[in-house]
Amino acid sequence: MSATDLTQADFAALPRQHSADQLSRPSLSYWADAWRRLRANPRAMSSLGLILALLAFVTVGPMVWTVDPSVQDVDHIGISPGADRQVTLTTPFIPWEPEALTPPTPSTGNPLGFTLAQSATTQSVRLTWADQDSPRRLYRNLFAPEDTGSFGLPLADLDTPYFEDRLDLQPETYYYTLVALDAAGEESETTATLTIDVTRVISIAQAQERGLIQPDESAEIGQTLKLAWHPLGTDYLGRDMLARLMYGGQVSLFIGLLAPLAFVFLGVIYGSVAGFLGGPVDQAMMRFADFVVALPFLLFMILFKVVFGIGPGESGILPMLAAMIILLWPAPARLVRGQILQIREEAYVSASKLLGATTPYVVGRHMLPNTLGVILVTITFQVPSAIFTEAFLSFIGMGVAPPTPSWGAMCNEGIKSMLTRPHELLFPAMMISATVLAFNLLGDGLRDALDARMRGAE
Amino acid sequence: MTHSTDNSAGSTVGAPITAQQQATRQPLLRVDDLHVDFQTYGGVVQAVRGVSFEVAAGQTLAIVGESGCGKSVTVQSLMGLIPMPPGRIHKGTATLRGHDILASKFVGGQDIRGREISMIFQDPMTSLNPTMTIGRQIAETLEVHRGYSQSQAFNRAVELLEMSKIPEAAKRAKQYPFEFSVGMLQRAMIAMAIACEPAILVADEPTTALDVTIQAQILDLLGDLQQETGMAIILITHDLGVVARMADDVMVMYAGEVVERGSVDDIFYCSGHPYTQGLRLAMPSNKRAEDGGAEQTLLAIDGSPPDLFNPPTGCAYHPRCPHAMNVCAQQAPAQYGLGSTSASNQGLSHQAACWLHHELCAAQKDQP
Amino acid sequence: MLKYAAKRIVLGLITVWFIASATFFGMHAVPGDPLTGDKALTPKIRANLEAKYGLDKPLATQYWIYLGNIAQGDFGISYTQENRRVNDIIREHFPVSATLGILAIVFAGVGGVLWGALTALYRNRWPDVAIMFLVILGISVPSFVMAAISQWSLVNLNQTAGGTVLPIGGWGSVWHMVTPALVLGLSTMAYLTRLMRSSMLEVVNTDYVRTARAKGVPATQIFSRHQLRNAILPVITVLGPAIAGITTGGFVVEIVFAIPGLGRYFVQAIQQLDYTVIMGTTVFYGAFLVFMVILVDLIYGLIDPRVRVDQ
Ligand SMILES: Nc1ncnc2c1ncn2[C@@H]1O[C@H](COP(=O)(O)OP(=O)(O)O)[C@@H](O)[C@H]1O
Ligand code: SF4
Ligand SMILES: [Mg+2]
Repeated sequence: MSATDLTQADFAALPRQHSADQLSRPSLSYWADAWRRLRANPRAMSSLGLILALLAFVTVGPMVWTVDPSVQDVDHIGISPGADRQVTLTTPFIPWEPEALTPPTPSTGNPLGFTLAQSATTQSVRLTWADQDSPRRLYRNLFAPEDTGSFGLPLADLDTPYFEDRLDLQPETYYYTLVALDAAGEESETTATLTIDVTRVISIAQAQERGLIQPDESAEIGQTLKLAWHPLGTDYLGRDMLARLMYGGQVSLFIGLLAPLAFVFLGVIYGSVAGFLGGPVDQAMMRFADFVVALPFLLFMILFKVVFGIGPGESGILPMLAAMIILLWPAPARLVRGQILQIREEAYVSASKLLGATTPYVVGRHMLPNTLGVILVTITFQVPSAIFTEAFLSFIGMGVAPPTPSWGAMCNEGIKSMLTRPHELLFPAMMISATVLAFNLLGDGLRDALDARMRGAE
Repeated sequence: MTHSTDNSAGSTVGAPITAQQQATRQPLLRVDDLHVDFQTYGGVVQAVRGVSFEVAAGQTLAIVGESGCGKSVTVQSLMGLIPMPPGRIHKGTATLRGHDILASKFVGGQDIRGREISMIFQDPMTSLNPTMTIGRQIAETLEVHRGYSQSQAFNRAVELLEMSKIPEAAKRAKQYPFEFSVGMLQRAMIAMAIACEPAILVADEPTTALDVTIQAQILDLLGDLQQETGMAIILITHDLGVVARMADDVMVMYAGEVVERGSVDDIFYCSGHPYTQGLRLAMPSNKRAEDGGAEQTLLAIDGSPPDLFNPPTGCAYHPRCPHAMNVCAQQAPAQYGLGSTSASNQGLSHQAACWLHHELCAAQKDQP
Repeated sequence: MLKYAAKRIVLGLITVWFIASATFFGMHAVPGDPLTGDKALTPKIRANLEAKYGLDKPLATQYWIYLGNIAQGDFGISYTQENRRVNDIIREHFPVSATLGILAIVFAGVGGVLWGALTALYRNRWPDVAIMFLVILGISVPSFVMAAISQWSLVNLNQTAGGTVLPIGGWGSVWHMVTPALVLGLSTMAYLTRLMRSSMLEVVNTDYVRTARAKGVPATQIFSRHQLRNAILPVITVLGPAIAGITTGGFVVEIVFAIPGLGRYFVQAIQQLDYTVIMGTTVFYGAFLVFMVILVDLIYGLIDPRVRVDQ
């Protein structure tokens, strides 16, 4: 239809439409709108997922993975994740009678005649060599001597042509080096190195004791079994890392979630009372809050712990919680007071006052819902700092007392063996970082979603 | 009110340019078919949809229309102030001295902003840098465009503050914005805007944030400065009282489009568009304004403002228009030229975009 | 401004007095007393020691003596290392911590402002995304883990290089300071970067930046005169808490890198329950932090004209 095709009919009055259909854009409530924005934020949503997964890990996890976190697995001390757990059934340890053996004769390739007398197991490694007059020195190493330039741990100086090693044998590859000593007892150039793979063995009685085979179950020597499984390895005492991470997470998250909830709650009450009462009461209350804020937080946390100490059998969780609550309420109190003062000025509160609303009604109906967003964001951002505080205190030995695990305490233990067994530090550190990361990102998302002003396009 | 008739006598300062342009009918600034979009979460906001107008030297063009109709976006695109993204000027030209300022703000390597065309804003409280003295902020313009030394520029800034009728200008120049009242700040903004004697001053609701007496003073100041320098003013306002007092020409915008334009007399006395007429009716009488009722919402018209994500089809005003016809809902009306009331009108010819001026309609009904 | 400063300092002194009192009464509330150790003391020696530490006097008297001593800057004598004055310990070890802390805060402040401004300028483009990813990591990893990981990396670095590129711990030369200072400043830098970025983004959209654009001020000049200056202000306000964070973070870094600073000494004293050292260093650290916050606020007042002229 172009302008020239128009007819008189086109110029008849348009029937009056009612403006209901003009509101085609749905008007969402504040919370529904915030939730829509949050859902549109993939970072916030994945952090929310991560938080739920972490919570499931520490609550549902122990029901699925029912290993006791305090049991020490003596077969598995400080093993890395995925370590070999094969074990061969063997007879109980039978003492060696090496005197009955004929010592091996030296050959050109092996001038010392250094040989393994029997198959090497975690029960014992039995070595013999040619019988000669001068003494020998025996070393054991976990690394090839040519790589490290060292023979490793000196086991013994020997006059006899045999040695039985039973020192903390693990199912690993060992490098045994025999060095001939000269008349003066100095090491000579004549050495021989054996590379020996030690197999893990266990006697039937021991296997029954550890629950690897049932008492009535028939078992034969040479049969292979599998030892207890530690998917994330064990710590320096042989405790299962996965189980400890779960129980440690309970402690860390308990503190990390409960402390902010509690002190923000306290702060909200304090702040709304101050903000609502106003006047000199408000001034006095805020002076006191300023004063508490000025106290150096971590120093006082430390002082608190020193003063209240940790009695025998106590975990030290509650004193830490109490200290956090006592020291950290002022920040949310200030925030809420500011919000309340601001909202108090706004028209709808005066309007509802004019309509005869009571004070608690105004606070409950108008003020708190309007500050709830800010409070929620504050709590979310306080969780990471509470978790860090727990970790920091546990790290300097002022936090959760052993044997109660917490991620911070586990890091503290893990850091000591960081160079040889990094997993003991890395796993709890990763849990802390994941939690802190998730709450930080969720906090960002919540802040953006709840911020009516929608700062930029962030 | 008297302004538009005064112009015929050619009494404006800066006469040479005006005379020349009068002779050739060449406007100082000519905007053609400007379109501006914003990409937002909710969709594309079509903020400005085909705006065209002209400004002649020494004249005042008022842009009126309800909040959100695209007035600020129109002038901000002239000033290169549209944030891109989300904004996009996807069509149109704006020619100033033969140069398309939408394509580039630089002429001969120099920014035309602050030099040829400058701008003052609605909220002087936030429009000045809080950590820089007023004098330094004015001086900055002169340093940038005129290459003045710092002290030279500062001295000139004091003079400009004096021109803007700020008492104790020398002392004031060393103060920070928070030490000024709102009215004083707007004067300082004006001093800053006229520092390089621009050809055009854009004032986006310069008095909305001020109280009534200060409003009048600021408007007087703008009028006086225009007399002295011969600059053209593009004045955005909500207030038809301000239009009557200041403007030579008026452009009425609705939903990102120009619905009517013409001299101030055309618009006030022979309006050819139902929306403009609605605005006139919604304007409070002068008496009530003087009683202190000046804060009233002036542009109250029935119905809700248009949704710029999805502007109405046909004439954008049709859902609210008391004269709406079938064709209005289907097809956008063309601009109809209407005879000018003041023969001397040298700025905008009187035009209205409304089907009521179609011949078929004119045959059916009387003129509105 | 002067009146404001005086008021802040008086409030600060009151806070320090509270810290000192809380420390004193807290320590005296600890069950048992500091002399009940594993060493069996004869009553005579015990009485001597009590007299030496003033433990034989009533608590109130002890408190006044303690306050008087603190007012004169005397923190008493260590329990575990007899004949060592707490003042000497602080004098010997604090300069190490302070050097480390100053390096860290400079690193954090300069880095935070630069990276924050950069990310804001390149908002949502790859430099922003990359830096903000690192920042999020920096904020999410506890400082002792960061310290441990960097030490572990140093061990490997030195091993592959076949020599000492950077020492893995200890104190002495400038090279000993590099890694610990970086590690110590890292999380604060990450935090400041975030703050600077959002502050910068807020400033970019302000009306006065729009005014500067409308004046035709070149972009570089808008950045330096109008944006940077205003965006830095909120960063300065958090430097007080940032210093506190670096101070306590220093405890951990000093332990991991075996640096003989006051922080490490403090933690050792806590673990050995050396009461006078704990009390002395707590009060010292408390006073230090309280006055650092005041100092930062006063400096802020000098920079922001709104505060400067107001008070
Ligand atoms: N930066 C922006 N982003 C998105 N939408 C914008 C932006 N600036 C303006 N708009 C939209 O453009 C339309 C016109 O705005 P504006 O020109 O400011 O109106 P006014 O006529 O009141 O000055 C409005 O609907 C507004 O929502
Ligand atoms: S075109 Fe139709 S709807 Fe639009 S203003 Fe004219 S009469 Fe009203
Ligand atoms: Mg506007």
